[in-house]
Amino acid sequence: MLLHLLKKLLLAIPILWLLGTAVFLLSRTLPGSFGEERFLNPEAGFYSKSSQSSREAAWEQLQQKTGQHLPLFYFSISSAALPDTLQNVQPSARKEQLQQLAIKYGNWPAISAFDLQVEKLVKALEIYPAKGASKSLQDLRYSTNISDLQKAINKLSKLGTSPAVASLAVAVSEKIEALNINQSSYTYLVPRITWNGTVNQYHHWLVGILTGDFSTSYRTSQPVLEMILEGIGNTFLLLLCSMVVTLILALELSILMAKKKLQWLRRLLLPALFAIDSIPMLVLAILLLVLLANPDFIQLFPVYGMGYYQPINLSFWQNLSMRLQFMALPLIALVLVNLPYITNQIYTSLQASLQADYTRTARAKGLPEHLVIRRHALRNALLPIITIVSDFIPALVSGSILIETIYAIPGVGRLLVESVMARDYPVLVAIILFVLLLRMVAYALADAAYFWADPRMKQKTA
Amino acid sequence: MRKIYTALTCFLFLFLTFCSQPERAPEEVRVRLAADPETLSPVSYSNAGALQIVNLLFQSLLSTDLGTDEIKPFLAEEMPTIERQDSITLYTYTIREEAEWTNGSPVTAVDVAFTLKVAKAPLLNNESLKPQLEFIQDIRIDSDNPRRFTFVCSGYASEMELLTGDFFILPAYLYDPENLLQHIQVSALSGDISELENDKKLKTFAAKYNSPNFGRDPKLLQGSGGYTLENWENGKYLTLTRKRDWWGNNTSNTQHLTAIPQRVSFQVIPDITTALLALKNRQIDVLESIPTAEFKQLKQQSAFLKDYALHTPDAYEFVYAGINTRQPKLSDKRTRQAIAYLLDAKSAMKVTQDNYATQTAGLIPPSVSEFYNNSIQPYSLDLAKAANLLRAAGWQQEQEGWFKIISGKKEQLTINVIYRAGSISYENAANILQQNASQIGIPVQVQGMESSLLSSKSKQHDFDLFFRSLGGNPFVFNFKPLLHTAYANEGGLNYTGFGTHESDRILDKVNGTVTSRQEMASLLKRLQEIMHEEAAFIPMYYIKERIAIHRRFTNAKISGLKPNYDVSAFTLKVEE
Amino acid sequence: MRQFWQSILHLWEAKPGFKAAAAYLMLLLLLALSLPWLPLPYPPNYLDLAHPYLPPFKDIVHPLGTDGLGRDLLSNVLYGARTSFMISVPVMLFATAIGMLLGTTAGFFGNDSLQQPRYSVLFWLLSFPAVLYFAVYLPLQVYQLEMELTYIILPVAALTGWLLLMWLLLNALQRFVPFLKLKMAIPIDKVVMRLTEALTSIPRFVLILALASFIPPSLFMLSLLLIFTIWPATARLSRAEMLRIKQLPYFEAACSIGNRPFQLIWRHALPNLAGPILIAFTFGLGGLLTLESTLSFLNIGVPTSLVSWGRTISGIRSNTSAWWLVVFPGGLLSLTIMALYTCSYYFTQVFSQKGRR
Repeated sequence: MLLHLLKKLLLAIPILWLLGTAVFLLSRTLPGSFGEERFLNPEAGFYSKSSQSSREAAWEQLQQKTGQHLPLFYFSISSAALPDTLQNVQPSARKEQLQQLAIKYGNWPAISAFDLQVEKLVKALEIYPAKGASKSLQDLRYSTNISDLQKAINKLSKLGTSPAVASLAVAVSEKIEALNINQSSYTYLVPRITWNGTVNQYHHWLVGILTGDFSTSYRTSQPVLEMILEGIGNTFLLLLCSMVVTLILALELSILMAKKKLQWLRRLLLPALFAIDSIPMLVLAILLLVLLANPDFIQLFPVYGMGYYQPINLSFWQNLSMRLQFMALPLIALVLVNLPYITNQIYTSLQASLQADYTRTARAKGLPEHLVIRRHALRNALLPIITIVSDFIPALVSGSILIETIYAIPGVGRLLVESVMARDYPVLVAIILFVLLLRMVAYALADAAYFWADPRMKQKTA
Repeated sequence: MRKIYTALTCFLFLFLTFCSQPERAPEEVRVRLAADPETLSPVSYSNAGALQIVNLLFQSLLSTDLGTDEIKPFLAEEMPTIERQDSITLYTYTIREEAEWTNGSPVTAVDVAFTLKVAKAPLLNNESLKPQLEFIQDIRIDSDNPRRFTFVCSGYASEMELLTGDFFILPAYLYDPENLLQHIQVSALSGDISELENDKKLKTFAAKYNSPNFGRDPKLLQGSGGYTLENWENGKYLTLTRKRDWWGNNTSNTQHLTAIPQRVSFQVIPDITTALLALKNRQIDVLESIPTAEFKQLKQQSAFLKDYALHTPDAYEFVYAGINTRQPKLSDKRTRQAIAYLLDAKSAMKVTQDNYATQTAGLIPPSVSEFYNNSIQPYSLDLAKAANLLRAAGWQQEQEGWFKIISGKKEQLTINVIYRAGSISYENAANILQQNASQIGIPVQVQGMESSLLSSKSKQHDFDLFFRSLGGNPFVFNFKPLLHTAYANEGGLNYTGFGTHESDRILDKVNGTVTSRQEMASLLKRLQEIMHEEAAFIPMYYIKERIAIHRRFTNAKISGLKPNYDVSAFTLKVEE
Repeated sequence: MRQFWQSILHLWEAKPGFKAAAAYLMLLLLLALSLPWLPLPYPPNYLDLAHPYLPPFKDIVHPLGTDGLGRDLLSNVLYGARTSFMISVPVMLFATAIGMLLGTTAGFFGNDSLQQPRYSVLFWLLSFPAVLYFAVYLPLQVYQLEMELTYIILPVAALTGWLLLMWLLLNALQRFVPFLKLKMAIPIDKVVMRLTEALTSIPRFVLILALASFIPPSLFMLSLLLIFTIWPATARLSRAEMLRIKQLPYFEAACSIGNRPFQLIWRHALPNLAGPILIAFTFGLGGLLTLESTLSFLNIGVPTSLVSWGRTISGIRSNTSAWWLVVFPGGLLSLTIMALYTCSYYFTQVFSQKGRR
């Protein structure tokens, strides 16, 4: 039994690892990284608090500190024309020019020499400004065509503001000429594989996860684990309550329907359940909101959230009753959405066991109908229900995402939606891992329940 | 059957049980925070809520008085004296004589020097403050008066006066009892500082200072402000208590230095709807940024209005449209004016702000009447004018739209509108423009995008038109980085490429040589005229803030500046 | 196959419930397709800013009222139906096609029926990274840098040359190295099953949300994403059916005659698969409609300018008293799903009975 469970959990680990890795790597290859917004792109105001270059320096310092300057993975594959150092070039427009030049002309040493010379020229022009230089300078900085570059530098050298600028311009034009002569246009077709060792972002991340450190959220810079733990309580309360209520209702309903005398009820209930099943959760949840928590109709329940902070410690019951008030609507929505399917399944399985031989014997003994159903048929119908319940958990998780978002419940589901919208990847990865784990636990519990409910299983393993 | 009924009744009973509201102490002010402050470090706080709290614990030399919306001396005795030399500017301050730290020792120039070191040194967590203080090169401490000192700053800009006073002063005795930073000179921290990274004492200090304690520990978060941190339950609440005998209460003639409420508690309620619920249940005393629809509803509930007063101060944030003048099709100002006539700021304002906004013609807030140019009429929806302007700019109307020959190529007038995804106000403004433009046959493509992508597109000038908002203030008007052509190259903050010779000249003057407020007013008014004429940077409307404050307090100092009220000034009404 | 159509025809004649549901669906589909030619008072994205939140039945021009921006609800509801069908039908078709292809192949070949010589397996393994580098990485880099098309064509040409060279080389090599000539079994069943397991190990909604955060919101990308997450269901179903059909005597007979695999699947297996697939198709379509409107309600993965039921419903969040924003699109959505489920129910009755016999 334990061995079986262990095996299942072990099988789950590769899936966990693969998905986590995929999300992590995908998230890091997207443009725009954490903190960039805050440091590099402040909203301009009526005055600026700092200069672009000093912000860039601070940003670089932060990147170094948080390890974001490291390579992404154990090895990296890139085009042989594009050197690694290019990644750290700022600003991005200059990086783009160098990348394009690298792909077009393939000779990195020549390009980098050109770049260095241009930087010097730019600095010199800051000291000896020249009228009309900015246009040519911009061409020099952003154009990727050798003839355009030559034209720009020719224009610049004709301005002739100071000998220093002139001599630098000559140097630049020499570098351009060198690039023109020594170009190798096909270099970019050749792949280059670099081995980065364990000093990479992925390794740090993986080690962190294994030691229980899920890093911090991009959005709130709170530890991810803390955020999830905060939401988990509410989500679990909702899930558990809705599951219990749904199961009890479904059991009782199917027992009622199974009775011969209550045929009319069955004829009424089945289509009704079918109709409810057709209403999507989204519509159902919002209809409940509009009908039962709206000052224009009936305001029975508080609309949003899950209570708020209470300064004085309330007793357990007070606390629970307050929470339940807030939970009423989400709970009703979740129960209504899942009830038809579960009832249908239990009813079918009950029907099957009512036709089985042992029930017929029981009936022949003269037991009253409700006892036949409860004592004999139900017990045997319970086995498939275990499977249904364990299959039901992921569906419930998906359901709670929407419910939490609509009713503004601070749970894991809403956290997921918010982090998707804010591209908050550390949180996203952690929640996915968490959901996977939940599913594994559900399977394990289902197995244990089987073991407990069906004596034949015990014999098999014994 | 019976079972179901019992179960159902139990269930309903539980739902409908009354919920008792706990009693509250009247002298405590309870404020909602949208997010946990995370760190209260005066050097590296990261959100607005944290700034509000740090403001109660620490003080800066200068700060805004929310009662009058003016810059006033806080820790400083008076505004600094300014002396301009060739390439440097000197700002001389004197710290108030009464000012003291929690342990009773006086605040001196040494503390200011220490703060500068922490802000500028390598290895420390100071990335957000460092760029802001880069222009301060040195500090000269008066040898006669330990409370008098001079900042030596490179260059000159009009906002420097504010910036030299706009950072929190740290207590050197508490942060660095071993004097680890004493041997470092402030002047050595400008330029290349890589050598210092190996400094042993600095390394020791960094190891201590970078620990989360310096942003969390009540024992370390002791400044010259009127409050100390009492309690911090992570993600739930923070409470501050007033110092028993705070120096600020003993000074004369300083109404802006206040610490009146006995306790201030900050409740972390991330969700605005939950916060509103808490407000309706009288559990919080102050709530700002109330959504317009809810605000309207609150206005009609007399029971609520009995306990709470609603305020709508004019905020200093405005929404504007920027048109990329570098696009050949948009380089003619008549084309841009035509687009401005299609923006329909009035409808955008009505739909998104429910008229809690003021339409504006210039970028100066209309509430600052001294500088606002009210002779300009803001652009309003006018299809006929737009079409005429387009014709005047050389566009030909054809079956599929407007066409013009630009440098030998026939081009169609299309507008690609970008804005930050998820923002309703920009989205609505874009939709309205799209609709109006389609009526005269201009296809508009609307694209909401992530803020990082939006920034890089605007920086690289890869757009036709964007919607953005800008936060301003009523005291510093240096628009040079925003509007001067020197900042119009790739990466610069002048995204639209606005600028004429005259506007550049005005911006230079405003930043440098203006002496009188009259001259300033005439320059700024002329600037607004030019901007209106050029129609590259088109201000649409200024937003009104929406706040509810409990009626038992007076002297709330409601302001358009964040955080919109001064919680330290809240005074209990005397019972009548 | 004829039998298949006949049983549907029979359903149409005998069951009024099916007839009503199917007729409703067809009508809605027809309406959605012919919308651009219908004389609606307002296009769905027109903003009638003078009349926001107009309640229904108050104004002749906006019979169903308007939303917060004054968009006409009637045209939004109708165009929403169009969007729903335009997303879900093609997605379901593609997902079913992919699922069937992979599922039947997996079921038919199992783990050891598909034999390939080692050198060709080696070729496929070797060409995979080359394709990734030349056909994905390099073009992507060039595309991002907005460079000329020649810089994309060049790597593709290089790739073709490289593959050709490798194929010739391996072909020549296998003549001298007998080891490469040996045939090996490709465990296609295992591969497909592992894939479906990995994809279904996370709830589909969570997976879609997570993946949607990586793609720019667009209709095409969203459809791809949906196809990617939905195909495993059909694949499992068709694999199970294929395994069942394989056991049937007539199929074994067809096999022994020496039909080619493709013919076997096409002629004999597919007609038998059609019933279960149709059930899954209609049922899945209902789920997809829900999913699409939920995603556009959350505004995840969908461009904001897309007219859809979910977008209209989300208007309720800024004004809870505007019940008409939920009732009309929500009602139509529920009705459509109910019709689909009804069809699916009747199909189940017909086809699973036949299967049992």
